[in-house]
Amino acid sequence: MRRFIVNRVLLSVITLVILSIIIFLGAQILPGNVGRKILGPLADQKSVDALNAKLGTNRSLIVQYWDWISGVFRGHLGNSAVQQRPVSAILGHAIVNSAKLALLAFIIVVPLAVLGGVYAALKEGTVRDRLISLGGLSATAIPDFVWAVVLIVIFPIGLGVFKPVATAPPGSNFFEQIYYLLLPAICLVFVLFGYIARMARAGTLEALDADYTRTAILKGLSQRVMVRRHVLRNALLPTIAVVATQLGYLMGGLVVIEVIFTYNGLGKALFEAAQKSDLPVLESGVLIVGIVYLAATLIADILYSVLNPRVRVGSAS
Amino acid sequence: MASPEERVDALRAQGTDHQNHLIDELRFGKIGRREFIRAAAIAGMALPAAGFIAGCSTKRDSVTRPDAPQRGTPRPGGSFRVGLLVPAGALDPVLVGDQSGLGVIGLSGDYLIWSDRTLTPRPRLAQSWSHNGDGSVWTFKIREGVRFHDGTPMDAEDVAATFNRLADPDNGSNALSALSGVLTKDSAKALDPTTVRFTLEAPNGNFPFLTSSDNYNAIILPKNYDGNWDKTFIGTGPWTLGHYRPDEGISLRANKNYWDPARQPLADNVEVIFYTNEQGMVLAFQGGQVDFVQQFSVSGGRAALTDSDVITTELRSAAHRQIHMRTDQKPLNDKRVRQAIALLVNRKVLVDGLLATKADFGNDSPFAPVFSSTAPGVAQRDQDVRQAKQLLAAAGVADGFSIQLDTWQGFEMPALAQVLQQELRAANIHLNLSITDSASYYGEAVFGNSRWLDSTMGITEYGHRGVPNVLLGAPLESKGTWNAAHFKNKTYDALVKDYVAAIDLDRQRAAAKKLQDLLLDEVPILFTYFYYYLSGTKKNVGGVDLTAMGCIDVTRGGFV
Repeated sequence: MRRFIVNRVLLSVITLVILSIIIFLGAQILPGNVGRKILGPLADQKSVDALNAKLGTNRSLIVQYWDWISGVFRGHLGNSAVQQRPVSAILGHAIVNSAKLALLAFIIVVPLAVLGGVYAALKEGTVRDRLISLGGLSATAIPDFVWAVVLIVIFPIGLGVFKPVATAPPGSNFFEQIYYLLLPAICLVFVLFGYIARMARAGTLEALDADYTRTAILKGLSQRVMVRRHVLRNALLPTIAVVATQLGYLMGGLVVIEVIFTYNGLGKALFEAAQKSDLPVLESGVLIVGIVYLAATLIADILYSVLNPRVRVGSAS
Repeated sequence: MASPEERVDALRAQGTDHQNHLIDELRFGKIGRREFIRAAAIAGMALPAAGFIAGCSTKRDSVTRPDAPQRGTPRPGGSFRVGLLVPAGALDPVLVGDQSGLGVIGLSGDYLIWSDRTLTPRPRLAQSWSHNGDGSVWTFKIREGVRFHDGTPMDAEDVAATFNRLADPDNGSNALSALSGVLTKDSAKALDPTTVRFTLEAPNGNFPFLTSSDNYNAIILPKNYDGNWDKTFIGTGPWTLGHYRPDEGISLRANKNYWDPARQPLADNVEVIFYTNEQGMVLAFQGGQVDFVQQFSVSGGRAALTDSDVITTELRSAAHRQIHMRTDQKPLNDKRVRQAIALLVNRKVLVDGLLATKADFGNDSPFAPVFSSTAPGVAQRDQDVRQAKQLLAAAGVADGFSIQLDTWQGFEMPALAQVLQQELRAANIHLNLSITDSASYYGEAVFGNSRWLDSTMGITEYGHRGVPNVLLGAPLESKGTWNAAHFKNKTYDALVKDYVAAIDLDRQRAAAKKLQDLLLDEVPILFTYFYYYLSGTKKNVGGVDLTAMGCIDVTRGGFV
């Protein structure tokens, strides 16, 4: 098991180094320069040049890359070219916000979708199964920004409940923060439910059809015990992998949701950094999203191997 | 008691030649009352005196404006919430170039002059101003007893340092494009603690506007200002910094020591909340998260326009989209082709369809109806497909041609491009649309490295200005840095110089007439409409003042 984990961590480090180079090179093709983005298209070129020199964004690419990557290794992410404040402060705040939203969405959607999927599988072919499967699929098929606008129009504007923005005022307590986050979290539930429930349903059906389940039934176990002891443990393997990959999406990919609900999460921070050519923020932010993805898949692999010894044995051999 | 005529004569006796000339223009009906007040204020006449003289006249203004329909008297106290888009960069009055940034700096800073919603200059930190006769040297009297938020007294040296800083190319100043050719980095001198003299590079009749809120970088900062404005929000304005949360918003507190008794803040606090995009801001506004939004467009805020809980303030403005045509490239180098394109455009369709009637028609020059110097009597260009086809035939392109139109994905510009594409088909002119993001469109914003400046035809957005000077220069002068049409015309250049140097409204209008006629004939750029500045308040809010520049004054704002 230890060897398995060490191997995966080493692979992750190599992946991150490659990712850092790809991010840096990719960021270079963004049009415009920082000085021009800050001062606007109609600003005098002399002012733009002076500002770029002041910000250090007119230095060679290699110098800029070295500055950034050596800083990353020293734990110093540098300063935002646009906002003139530490990248760590910008991204730290954004990560905490994204984690709050992701956690709330996960707490709602994962049990709901797993239960829904398992229940649909147990009632395979019935109206209830179709309702869960088709309903979930339809909800997932509708883009998140459509859900966001529809929910805002119905609830805060129409009914006067919930908030159209997800950022609670400074000094808000825990429950107020949850209240502000509910609407975007519900959006995410709609988007993720169908996918996770489908995986849970498929895994359950497969487990229900397995020899060990038949044996358990023949042994005379009740359905509840059979499902808990034999089906769930095996049915949830693919679901865990799906949930883990969604974590990366929730941490850095919620650009539209965060923009519409004016929530300063990692997705919005990255979107704005790309728009403004703020390379220090963009590069460090994408790197962090990469780390989250890798960490999530690593945890998923470990869980997978705990639940399924064949993976451990296979990778060890 | 003296009769009004006698009092006007008494004021004439104290006035300069220029001011008396304006009184004559009003008396003989050449200008309206509002135009008189505005021109008299620029010439340095005290506003109460100008208002009195205007009140004696019966001449109506040629331009009427939609009034702000906010109702009721706001109550003192409470927290007032303002919605703005996220500023483009770090908040620094020297660098700010976007509307949100200027909205913020104007809350805690003051200008020498406030250019109000009718484009009338009103004294703020400057008590009065005058020029040397030809407008090449301007002297400003600075208000005494004003202090910065940290308690330091504000004086003429701070004013001079502010403008010299803005005119210095080494500072990355965003005002440089407006001050270029007007001020250099040592043009402003403090003669004594309350007097500043500006020696201009060339005579300029509208110079007070360059020191006003129309030149939004020009809030007065301490002479030792060295950046990091967002740590202190230092200024002399009615609101002081409480707490700044970049990307989220700002808490501002009422400045209890504010110098202006007429503008003492009514609310205890102002909460500025930032939004990433217009749609999110409008939804939040409708959902009751803010009491006032600085601006929304017709394309992004239609829902607010029809919301019965929202009061929309409409201000006429000079903001517009320029559709440039390369005058040095075939087939657009023939002015008959450019005229034909202008005649194919149905401006009513644009104004009604794209802007829900919230715009004035443009007449292919930067002289918007909102400017008092715009010459009356220039015939409005209308759609005339038959004449357009005749002109194309005369130019040898009767069968039409294909051409690329560049613009970027913002505001109503893609829709405008599509309407143009549709309308030009009537004469077999095929527009191939190339719509990118703003960064790709503007590129480096220099000739040879910018779709904007290098494209054969393009649509570019231009914001509001208090006077048309900048719009006449950079986009149209032979050496203009924004001259996307590559228009080179010596007569035009000379006329612009005349216009800029003209001190009185009569001469400005005379020069404007020639410029309008010339541009209507040459058509290097299509100016099809000047859209209104739209701002929203909730029904229970009153007292908010704003200008089409995007400057907001919420000192008297509150809940009714």
